[in-house]
Amino acid sequence: MNPFRVALAVARKDLRSEWRTRELVPALAQFIILALLIGNFGFQIDSRSAPSIAPGILWLALVFAGLVAFGRTFAAEREQASLEAMLMTPASPVAIFAGKALAASALLVICEAVMLPALSIFFGTPFSADVIAAVLLATVGMAALGCLFAAIVARIRARELLLPLLTLPLWIPFVIAGGVAVQSAMGLPGNYQQAIGLLIDFDILFVVLTSLAARFVLDE
Amino acid sequence: MSVIIGDGLAHRFGAEMALEGVDLVLDSGEHIAVLGDNGAGKTTLLRILATALRPTAGRLSIAGLDAVRERRRLRHYLGYVAHAPGLYPALSAAENLQFFSDLQDVDRRRVDEALDVVGLTSVAHRRADQLSRGMQQRLAIGRAILHEPRLLILDEPDASLGPDAAELLTRVISDKTVVLATHDHALANKLCQRSLVLRHGRSVGTATRLRVVR
Repeated sequence: MNPFRVALAVARKDLRSEWRTRELVPALAQFIILALLIGNFGFQIDSRSAPSIAPGILWLALVFAGLVAFGRTFAAEREQASLEAMLMTPASPVAIFAGKALAASALLVICEAVMLPALSIFFGTPFSADVIAAVLLATVGMAALGCLFAAIVARIRARELLLPLLTLPLWIPFVIAGGVAVQSAMGLPGNYQQAIGLLIDFDILFVVLTSLAARFVLDE
Repeated sequence: MSVIIGDGLAHRFGAEMALEGVDLVLDSGEHIAVLGDNGAGKTTLLRILATALRPTAGRLSIAGLDAVRERRRLRHYLGYVAHAPGLYPALSAAENLQFFSDLQDVDRRRVDEALDVVGLTSVAHRRADQLSRGMQQRLAIGRAILHEPRLLILDEPDASLGPDAAELLTRVISDKTVVLATHDHALANKLCQRSLVLRHGRSVGTATRLRVVR
């Protein structure tokens, strides 16, 4: 059985369900716009201070939007009792996990597509390929970790509380490296190449680790 | 040839013993009903037989394979209808089955055939959350037979199916080995050659048709 076909089928199914129900993306987009509005009015922003404040607002909004997006990936499956049906097929649990992570990442990327231009409008910061690359690279690793912990806590009643406790500490490397990369791309001091290299290393490390762990998490 | 050989099957949820020392041997093509009150251990036994749950004690062999260690290999061999339909509400009946045909690696033409067997062809494009509870149950049965399994594990499949439940299930289980949990003794007698009666997680006996041990 082709694991790529399985992963694509799972991702397509999740995105189709989201397209029909529109449960997550409008809420996330609204949250992101509100976070930018609060950041815009909560700080005294001028052309000099904007590049130092904007990356912080960006990562704060992304982290909390990510928690919501990844938290729903397995919670919905548990609520409708469909996860067991999916795991009862011969499909590899790793491929199923990859498909879920792919779909959750795609939803977060859609939110980022709203957020980055809005950040540029609100804060006047550059909307460049370097910023987009840093955010997308961080999204990969954050999605892998977020989906793994979402799968672990999905069967626990207090999952909304546990997910941030488990996930946020392991997202810190992405926020630090991604923060440096975005600051550098916005004209502040920092080594962009080094930060991007770190993000790629973290992505590889966590994608491999979560793929190995997913088999055991989902198979039990 | 025995398809299922269960020896001393047990399962514990924390301190509670849900199933204890259940033996079961089922030959190819045989249909067995699992009877018992609510909480007797029927669903736990069926989940173990469907390889969805590992027994905490005992041994289980299905089609000659160790059902705990080689359970992934058995997924092609068995179909399972769980207590809850477990469908995707935003997808249509056909899309639900198409998704599972991708995961089962079966031809998508089987989707139409399965929908036809369970009598859902006319509502194939209706969303699952717009189907009645009985139709959702039919769709769950359609999903279980999508890959043409030789062993069917059915956990109260007659729930909310309506008056033609026996007719539908007869059509579905013909030429298959079947374990069927139900509260309906008449249905059990109609569809199965033998019954296994559970009480408080223990087997209190087996019976042939019309001689169910109480």
